[in-house]
Amino acid sequence: MEILALFDCIITPACLISQTAGGLKIGMLLFLVASGLTLVFGVLGVINFAHGALYMLGAYFSWQIMTLTGHFGLAVISGSIGVAIFGLLFERLLISKVYNADLLVQILLCYSVILILDDLVMIIWGDEFLSGIGIPEIFQVPPLFIFDAIIPPFHIAIVIISMIVALILWVIMTKTKFGKLVRATAINPKMLEALGVNTNIIKAGVFMLGSFLAGLGGALAASLGSVVSGMGNSIIIESFIVTVIGGMGSISGAFLASIIIGMARSFGAVAMPLFTDGIMFLIMVLVLIIRPEGLMRKKK
Amino acid sequence: MNFIKKDNFKRDALIGVFVWLFLLIFFFIFPYPGIHDIIQKVFILGLFAMSLNILIGYLGLIAFGHAAFFASGAYTLGLFLQSNIVISIGSLSIPAAIFSAVVVSSILAAFIGSICIRLKDIYFSFLTLAFQMLIYSIILALVSITGGDQGLMGGFPKPPFLGIDLGKPFDFYAFTIFISLVTIILLRQLIESPFGYGLRMIRDNPERPAALGFNTQKHKLIAFTIAGSIAGLAGSLQALLDVGAYPEWAFWAKSAEPLFMILLGGMHSFLGPLMGAFIFEMLNDFVTANTRYYGLVLGLVILSFVLGLRRGLLDWLLMKFYRK
Amino acid sequence: MLKIIGVSKSFGGIIATNNVTIDLKPNSINALIGPNGAGKTTIFNLITGNISIDKGEIFIEKNNITNFKETEITHTGIARAFQITNIFPTLTVKESIKIALLAKRHGLNNMWNRFATHSINAEASNIAALAGLKKVYNTISSELSHGDQKLLDIALALALKPKVLLLDEPTAGMGPEERWEMIKRIKELWKKTKMTILFIEHDMDIVFDIAQTIYVLQQGSIIAEGTPKEIKNNNEVIKAYLGGGKK
Repeated sequence: MEILALFDCIITPACLISQTAGGLKIGMLLFLVASGLTLVFGVLGVINFAHGALYMLGAYFSWQIMTLTGHFGLAVISGSIGVAIFGLLFERLLISKVYNADLLVQILLCYSVILILDDLVMIIWGDEFLSGIGIPEIFQVPPLFIFDAIIPPFHIAIVIISMIVALILWVIMTKTKFGKLVRATAINPKMLEALGVNTNIIKAGVFMLGSFLAGLGGALAASLGSVVSGMGNSIIIESFIVTVIGGMGSISGAFLASIIIGMARSFGAVAMPLFTDGIMFLIMVLVLIIRPEGLMRKKK
Repeated sequence: MNFIKKDNFKRDALIGVFVWLFLLIFFFIFPYPGIHDIIQKVFILGLFAMSLNILIGYLGLIAFGHAAFFASGAYTLGLFLQSNIVISIGSLSIPAAIFSAVVVSSILAAFIGSICIRLKDIYFSFLTLAFQMLIYSIILALVSITGGDQGLMGGFPKPPFLGIDLGKPFDFYAFTIFISLVTIILLRQLIESPFGYGLRMIRDNPERPAALGFNTQKHKLIAFTIAGSIAGLAGSLQALLDVGAYPEWAFWAKSAEPLFMILLGGMHSFLGPLMGAFIFEMLNDFVTANTRYYGLVLGLVILSFVLGLRRGLLDWLLMKFYRK
Repeated sequence: MLKIIGVSKSFGGIIATNNVTIDLKPNSINALIGPNGAGKTTIFNLITGNISIDKGEIFIEKNNITNFKETEITHTGIARAFQITNIFPTLTVKESIKIALLAKRHGLNNMWNRFATHSINAEASNIAALAGLKKVYNTISSELSHGDQKLLDIALALALKPKVLLLDEPTAGMGPEERWEMIKRIKELWKKTKMTILFIEHDMDIVFDIAQTIYVLQQGSIIAEGTPKEIKNNNEVIKAYLGGGKK
């Protein structure tokens, strides 16, 4: 336990800023992924445990397109769209079959898909780590120095991109007709059906959106690090934690929780480097005990 | 044949003795270490899966964090045998170590259970998982005690006791199967006792028991503790088998294994999880011998059970050939 | 036998039960009637401790049981059958009744005997006979007919050896013939056990046939109370049900 190290860090501007920036980066990337997870749960009532595998596919797809075209933006966008399409197939063929089933059945189904995809990517792309897709040329510049803290501009870009996505998501959910239909589906799908709305399309659409977000998270992760089979297995746990802490189905809750977890990881790595993950789980345990419905109760 | 039909403890015990003797003879008729290994593994994993099925199949509580107790049993046994206590109690070490493993796992299960059962449904499941991962993190962090991500290093002695030397394959084989069978028989008694039917009552209708004057929370806690202690026993046997303990045993993926076994073998029959352990182990061995893509095969098998068969193999067989 | 005195309950400003007083004589059979939403099941819930009482008191045989918890109430001699059948789908009738018998007397802590051969078997058999379930004794509950499931619900309540039995719409969901069968059975039960019964019912013919005292509930308040003859001629009741009054 290195509490002193933590204390030192907080009083040193360079450390404070770089850890905060790092925490934001982790948090926002996590939010991209977790928002998809909580959205799918809120509307479809399904806990898509395979969400991390979709993240992994986003990384692999964008890697592939980057290797073919060399164009960063194209790789990220089309990679994410590719995952969205995959998500559509996944939803129609498998997930929709377990909408009203036991939690156990849903989890087992999703876990089997994780197992299959983890091996499938190895068959297609080999079992070696694939080096990341790198960052776009504009950002291949010297890092910024803010109060002596080293901040790569690309990290700032990621945070901004994530916030823009969050904003777009919010606008879609609250201001558009689609968003209204989605929220209505979450509350009372049968009523909507009776009014002649095809909720299957809405459900598929929501799942595609969730998959897109996971894929986007994976694509961006591919720019920050390497791509390997099983890379979704830790992000899924973190997304889970975020979803539970924030309140299942609440996107604003996921936003808040992601930042909390991001900061906990960033500063936790300073204070308790061996127990960084443990801090997250401890927070999850405490939230579940004290306020199981999460920080932001979902308004029904 | 009427004796077989009479479902009571004596009958179970007798069947257990016969199975044990049969398997001992089997050891000599088929002297292949590979097969003995599989049999031992099936019993250990079977215990693990059957303990989880107390909660899932009989109580209706989906616990995701059950491997926490498997790991606590393993590490407790390992640490015990690595400690100086072995020097003082010598030949009682292994029984004492196993006993400690079970006790520690029970206490852990009672503690975690008492908090988790206050929550319902998915929140219960998530909290058990959160606790398990918390324990995983603690194991990783306490490097000086647990060896961190390397696992318990340096091995440990296995002093002979009561004429049994666990260093010898036959002794280990006979001992492991014996312990497993005894536990299974005791578990059967538990499940077929009024206590066991209390579990089914809670599973079938969680609200009704209160209207019959029955305190379900206490019942759930006792069941959770017993399930945890058996998982701890299984973990301690695994640790003896591998002469070590590893943090992976506390990772969430380890909790998925007994779930698979319950799915494959069936949650509605007493021996379902044991059959599931057998299928799982066979799959494991067969697939890893032929391809590296074990996950793919396992995933497809599970998918087909979830979407197709929709129930475990033993459940399905019993349904087909033995309608109650 | 069972007295609820001036009991009131509101939910967030809405008065569900308003100063209700019911006095059940021992060994009597009584009906609680009223339009849908009048609050009949709420009164049952208040008696059995499912919801807490805001004002008033409940006594059984001079014992004050106001605000006892649900599990405590079962030890006071009150048992209840539910409106929507509330049974154990995978257990057989025999197993369900046995379990109910054992539940109350802490017999479910027993890990040493076998449930199947438990000495409670004889008692369970008697209760099944009382409830008319002998024929389906070994049938799995989920496979029972609707009528038998309702009987099972009652059998579970009988397992508590109650002095007061609360039946919430025992004939709900039944055709006319089945209903009279059920009422016959309840009458027999009542004669054999000398229990005090209070049942909620919508079928007026049945109510007037079997009840000794009728309580009429409207919007949480008792608007009338009396014998079938008195109730039939009661202006308030006629207004509540038919929207007109006798002059």
